[in-house]
Amino acid sequence: MIIAVSGKGGTGKTVIASLLVRSLAERNAYDILAIDSDPDSNLPDALGVEVERTIGDIREELLEKRDSLPPGVSWRSQLEYEVMRALVETESFDLLSMGRPEGPGCYCAANHVLREIIDTMAGNYDYVIIDTEAGLEHLSRRTTQNVDVMLVVTDTSKRGITTAARIKELAEELNIKFDSIYVVINRATAGTEEKLQEYAGEVGLEVIGTVPEDENVRMYDHEGRPLMELPGDTPALRAVRGIAEKIVR
Amino acid sequence: MDEEIPVDVGLIYEGERIRKSSMYVDLAGPKSKGAELLRVVPPEEVEDGKVEVIGPDVDQMEEGGRYPLGIYIKVAGEKLEEDLEGVFERKLHYFCNYVQGFMHLNSRDIIWCRISKDAAKKGLKLYHIGKALVKLYKTEFDVIEKIQVTFYTDEKAVDEHIARARKVYEKRDARAAALKDEDVDVFYSCLLCQSFAPTHVCAITPSRSGGCGAVTWFEGRAAVKVDPSGPIQEIPKGEVIDPVKGEFSGINEYVREKSNGSIERVYLHSIFDYPHTSCGCFEAIAFYIPEVDGIGIVHRDFHGVTPFGIPFSTMAGQVGGGVQSQGFLGISIAYLRSPKFLQADGGWQRIVWMPSQLKERVRDAIPQEMYDKIATESDAQDLESLKEWLKQKGHPVVERLAEEEKAEEEAEEESQPVATVPELTLPAQGVPVAGAPAEFTIIFKNAKIYAEKVIIRRK
Repeated sequence: MIIAVSGKGGTGKTVIASLLVRSLAERNAYDILAIDSDPDSNLPDALGVEVERTIGDIREELLEKRDSLPPGVSWRSQLEYEVMRALVETESFDLLSMGRPEGPGCYCAANHVLREIIDTMAGNYDYVIIDTEAGLEHLSRRTTQNVDVMLVVTDTSKRGITTAARIKELAEELNIKFDSIYVVINRATAGTEEKLQEYAGEVGLEVIGTVPEDENVRMYDHEGRPLMELPGDTPALRAVRGIAEKIVR
Repeated sequence: MDEEIPVDVGLIYEGERIRKSSMYVDLAGPKSKGAELLRVVPPEEVEDGKVEVIGPDVDQMEEGGRYPLGIYIKVAGEKLEEDLEGVFERKLHYFCNYVQGFMHLNSRDIIWCRISKDAAKKGLKLYHIGKALVKLYKTEFDVIEKIQVTFYTDEKAVDEHIARARKVYEKRDARAAALKDEDVDVFYSCLLCQSFAPTHVCAITPSRSGGCGAVTWFEGRAAVKVDPSGPIQEIPKGEVIDPVKGEFSGINEYVREKSNGSIERVYLHSIFDYPHTSCGCFEAIAFYIPEVDGIGIVHRDFHGVTPFGIPFSTMAGQVGGGVQSQGFLGISIAYLRSPKFLQADGGWQRIVWMPSQLKERVRDAIPQEMYDKIATESDAQDLESLKEWLKQKGHPVVERLAEEEKAEEEAEEESQPVATVPELTLPAQGVPVAGAPAEFTIIFKNAKIYAEKVIIRRK
C-alpha cells in the first residue's frame, strides 16, 4: 500500500509521516519503505537515519559518467544497483531520499528508468510512505503515480483546509490516482476540531484524525532528536497510531 | 547432495529485493567484490550440467555475513559465436532473479547478490542456483548444447576470476566500440520525447545515439528486452538507400508511421536535406554557417554566444520540437565520437567552430590535423573573426570560400549596391503549393537589411 503524506510547509507533514512510519514499524509485521521526496523536508532526521546518497545524486553522477561507460554495459542496470546502494536499511524500515530537483539538461530517459526501478522496488514492501511536497511535483514526475491513500496535513486554520482542497484538485489535475484522500489536522488544540471538521465537509474532504499539540514533539524537534525515540505514550504518537489503524484496516 | 532446488523458480520473483533485515548473506556488492562471466568455449572444455562451488556454500556461511562472489559459466554449441557471450551473460541477471529468495543486481564486475533467511532456512545453496541456471539456459536457448557453472566464494579464487573477467570485458568493449550501422540488422527507436515533440522519432543505431545521449544502440537493445512494449522499440533496418548519408528504408517507414506522416525521410549523418528531427533535450547542436560554408557545434553547458551572436538556449528553442530544420541538428556528445559523424557533410573537415570546453572533451575524436583549425569562443566571437581565423589556419572550408568570394566580387562590380530598401517582399517563387509541406529556406549572404517592421505569418 502506498501512502503519500502531503501538506504545506510548516504544517508538520514530516512529523506525521515519521510517526506513521513508526506506528507501522512497531507492529513488527510489515516491510516498510519511507521515501523522502520533499527536498525541503528532513524526514531522514526525524527518522534518525543518515542519507549518504540521494536519487538526485545518482542521476547527476550518471549524466557525468555516461560517456565513459563501456559500450557493453547498460546504465539501466547500473542505476538499479545504485538505487539499491542509496537505500538506507534499518531493522524496522528502509528509506530512499529523492534529493534535489534536477539541473538543466535532459533527464527524460534517466527519470523514466528511475521511476521503473523505484516502482519495482516499492513493490517489495507492504507499506510505502512518501513524504511529498505540496506541489506534488515528485509524485507526478518521479515516483509512482498511483497512491492508495493521500493524507493532507493541515494546521488548525480555515486556510489550511482550503489548501488541502487545493492539493486534492492538484492531484487530480496531475493525474495522480488515489483511492482515498483524508485530512489530518495537526497541532490541534481543544475546541478547534469540530469547526474544522465542518469546513472540511464543506469542501468534500474527510478528516481521518486529529493530532494534538505535543510538548514532546516540540522539544524533540527543537533539540534535533529523532522522533523514532519519542516516548511510546506521547499524545501525538498515540493519535497517529489511531490513524495508522484506520488506514491498515 | 540434494539435487532438488528447495525454493520456487519463476518469472514472478523478478524484481524481488531482499531487505537487510530478512537477508541471510550479502554477496559481492559495494562493500565486497565479485564478477560474473560467461564464455563460449569448445565442447571438450565443458562438462555438461556440472555445478561447482569453490569456497564455502551457503550452508557453510555465517548468518548476516558478507562474502565475495564470482560466477563463471562456460557454454558450448555448434552454432555459438563469441559475439553472443554478452547477450547470454546479460541473461544471467534475469535467470538469477527467477530464483525465489535470491537477489541479483547489475552485471559484470559490479554485481550484488543476497540470499534471504527464508531461502537459507529451506536449504538453498549456490549449488542449487547453478543447477537452476543450467536448466534455464538450456530451455531458453536451444543453441546451447553444453553448459557448466562455477561459483567462487573463496577470496583468492574470486580475485583471480575478477582479473580473468576484466580481460574479457575489455576485449568485448573494444569490439562493441567498433560496431557500425552496417554490422547490425536492427536499429532502435525512442519515443520518450514525443510528450513535448510529438513528431520526434529518435532513430538509434550503433553509429548514432539518441540526441539526449542517454540511449545508445546497446541501451536500446537492453531496454527492449526489459520492456518490449515500452517507449523504446525495434526498427527493422530495411534496405540501405544511401550508406553515406545514412538513409535506410526501415527507418523511413518507421518514422513516417510514428510521426503521423509529418516526417517522410531521414538522413542519419547529414544536417542537410532530410536531417534527423531534434527533440529538445539534445546535448549539443550542429549548425550550418553559410558565410563560411562550415558547421559549428555548441553544447548545452556553454553559456556564451555562438558566432551567430546567439547562445545555445536561443538556438535550441528554434531547432527542437520534432521538426526537420535545414542546417540544424540536435545531437549527443557521443555522436561527435561516431566514426560516421556528419560524414555526408564532410565530417570533421567541415567543423569550423566549437566551445573550448567541448573541444577539449572530445579531443580524442577530432582528427589531429583538424584540431588546431577549429576555432573556439576565444578565437572567434562573430562571423568576421571566424572567417579570418579559418583563412589564417588554412581550414579545408577556405578553398571553397575563396572561390565563392571571387565570384561575388565580380558580381558586385556589375550591380549598384542598394542603399535603402523601403519594403521587403519575399518572392513567393519556390514556395510549394498548398497541400505540400510549406517549408523553404532563405539564406542571406553578406546581407544588410534595414526594416522598420517585418511580419512573417504562418498560413
